[in-house]
Amino acid sequence: MASVASSIDTVSGSAVRPRRYMDRKSLVPLLLFLPPALLLFTVFVVLPMIDAGTFSFFDWTGYGPITDFVGFDNYEDVITHRNFGTAVRNSLIVVAVSLLIQLPLAMWAAIALSERGTHVNILRTIFFVPYMLAEIAAGLIWKFVYDGNYGLVPIIGDAIGQKLPFVLADKLWVIPAIMLVIIWKYFGFHMMIYIAGLQSIPSEVIEAARLDGVKKWKIVWHIKLPMIWSAIVVSVFFSITGALQLFDLIIPLTGGGPQNTSHTIVTFLYQFGILRMKLGFGGAVSVMLFIACVIVAIVYRRLLFRAEQT
Amino acid sequence: MVKYLHIASIPGEVELMQKAADEYMAANPNVKIELPFLENEAFKAKLTTLLQSAEAPDIFHSWGGGVFYEQAKAGVLRPVEDVMSQAAKDEMGSAGVSAFTAADGHLYGMARDVAEVVLWYNKTLFEQAGVDPASMGTWDGFLAGVQKFKDAGITPLAVGAKDKWPAHFWWSKLVVRLAGQDGFNAAAAGEGDGFAGEDFVKAGEYFLQLAALNPWQEGFEAASYGDASGYFGDGKAAMHLMGDWDYGAMKDNSASKQGIPDDQLGILPFPTIEGGKGDPTDTLGGLSGYLFSKNASDEAVKFLEFYNSKAVQEKFGQAGYYIPIAKGAADSMTNPFKVQIGKNISGAHWHALFFDQALGPAVGGVVNDVSAELAANAISAQEAAELVKEAVDDTL
Repeated sequence: MASVASSIDTVSGSAVRPRRYMDRKSLVPLLLFLPPALLLFTVFVVLPMIDAGTFSFFDWTGYGPITDFVGFDNYEDVITHRNFGTAVRNSLIVVAVSLLIQLPLAMWAAIALSERGTHVNILRTIFFVPYMLAEIAAGLIWKFVYDGNYGLVPIIGDAIGQKLPFVLADKLWVIPAIMLVIIWKYFGFHMMIYIAGLQSIPSEVIEAARLDGVKKWKIVWHIKLPMIWSAIVVSVFFSITGALQLFDLIIPLTGGGPQNTSHTIVTFLYQFGILRMKLGFGGAVSVMLFIACVIVAIVYRRLLFRAEQT
Repeated sequence: MVKYLHIASIPGEVELMQKAADEYMAANPNVKIELPFLENEAFKAKLTTLLQSAEAPDIFHSWGGGVFYEQAKAGVLRPVEDVMSQAAKDEMGSAGVSAFTAADGHLYGMARDVAEVVLWYNKTLFEQAGVDPASMGTWDGFLAGVQKFKDAGITPLAVGAKDKWPAHFWWSKLVVRLAGQDGFNAAAAGEGDGFAGEDFVKAGEYFLQLAALNPWQEGFEAASYGDASGYFGDGKAAMHLMGDWDYGAMKDNSASKQGIPDDQLGILPFPTIEGGKGDPTDTLGGLSGYLFSKNASDEAVKFLEFYNSKAVQEKFGQAGYYIPIAKGAADSMTNPFKVQIGKNISGAHWHALFFDQALGPAVGGVVNDVSAELAANAISAQEAAELVKEAVDDTL
């Protein structure tokens, strides 16, 4: 909104006027465009958040009035729950793998595929298709791939003469198996963000560097990456918040198993809060997740702000 | 207008339902019956909100037990004991009436059918491994038989531990045998040591004895109920501890869609355990039916009395969709397995309701968790028992 208001200010040549939000010319678009977004945001984001926050202090099954106030008991139950630590650890693993493996991979693919051409277009589409699949469908597809009786994994095992484990039933393999699906599913999305950024770099800059004999990796490091910095910022942010909210791939793949070892924070919330009719418990988890996300957002903004200033 | 929210997805069954509704509408032209459908899991997830909204159906499916008690307590149901005819109450019998009577003494619904968890077995594989089904009657004989299958290179048991509830049938059956009705009810009420008591720890220990033999199909922890059911239906496992509905589901889930032919399929009684406090006739299973929501009209009760009457139930029983609870309606069944199961239940000293339903979702969920872990030999019997006890204590 601010940018709309300020751009109008510039057009009308009154950029320095004080209390510019009261400007008649900016007030109209403000009144016109803000209410729908604000209303939707309030009804579907703010109110449910306040609700969840309220539930978290009550013992409530989801039925009837909310009367049984229990203070911070739900929070204590969450923290001492025997599967909560695993869920948090898994979510952090997803964040780490997303940042350290998925994004570099996406960047590498983007740099390789940023030039124009038919074969390039085909490859880009192939990498992007998984992102367009519904999460549930992708989860089901990979459940079949990993199936130790009828899936692709035992076929590969036969081909190399090795007995491969039932990965989704194996405590050790289940997390790497899920990570592979996540990378497969989302790296195309980040690749597209980077490609869009790379294509906006004026070709003269790259050409000039080439003529000056700058090595290829140096062009990437000193010219391309800095010039698509804003794209990277966006993609890192999506990557972290997406990882923290990971839910609908896990449910069809493992349902959180084996032995509740593959839960993320959100599947933990769903399994132990909602499905077990302990909405207060679920509310407590969601408040904690919300606080974690806010902290990430603030810290991230701070860091970026500093980075932009230097 | 009467809305009955159901969870039936088999086309033939839905057709029968619609026919019955049409018949009622023809006789009562001023009433309109609607049969909206929700898929099983969606139904469970959505019902909480639905019942507290203006869109609440008049009649909806219920498995009874803990969720029903919560609904009754919250006042989202309509008591119907004064509206319902004595004939209808008599027809569903005392077990049916008590299953849908809440702690406050009010009757909130009607029982429709019964289900039992039985040990299905594949006769061909028993012959192949040289195991005599009669030798499986005791726990020791059962373990010996399982070992024989292992030695013969045949998977003894299929289980869908990803969904957890199939594993909880094992724990439940052992508890039914070891603790019996009184022991279970006392533990559920939190009396004495509750679920951490001796019998329940023992149930875990027996479960671990079985798990130690590694009796399940490979990758059982990633197998859903459907996967396990198909595995058994494909003739790859000798036994499957599952509800009577698996008779049809096992065929549907098998690769050939044919499943195991009737003459090669059998039902074993769950092994008895020496010194167990349960009655040998005790069964484990379901008793489900219908509930009336708060704003249900008298008309809805009248409709259900017809829809759930012996005459209508018989048609469903005959087609094999469920085992009717109405007195005499089960006689119409022709499928020998269903007939036997019907007899088991009517002759049972105690028909235990699925534990994860009876104990409510919070405790039932923990029972399911620890059962899946016991099946994987990943938790001690003591710890499993204590986790269930803690969950009960939390709800008291």
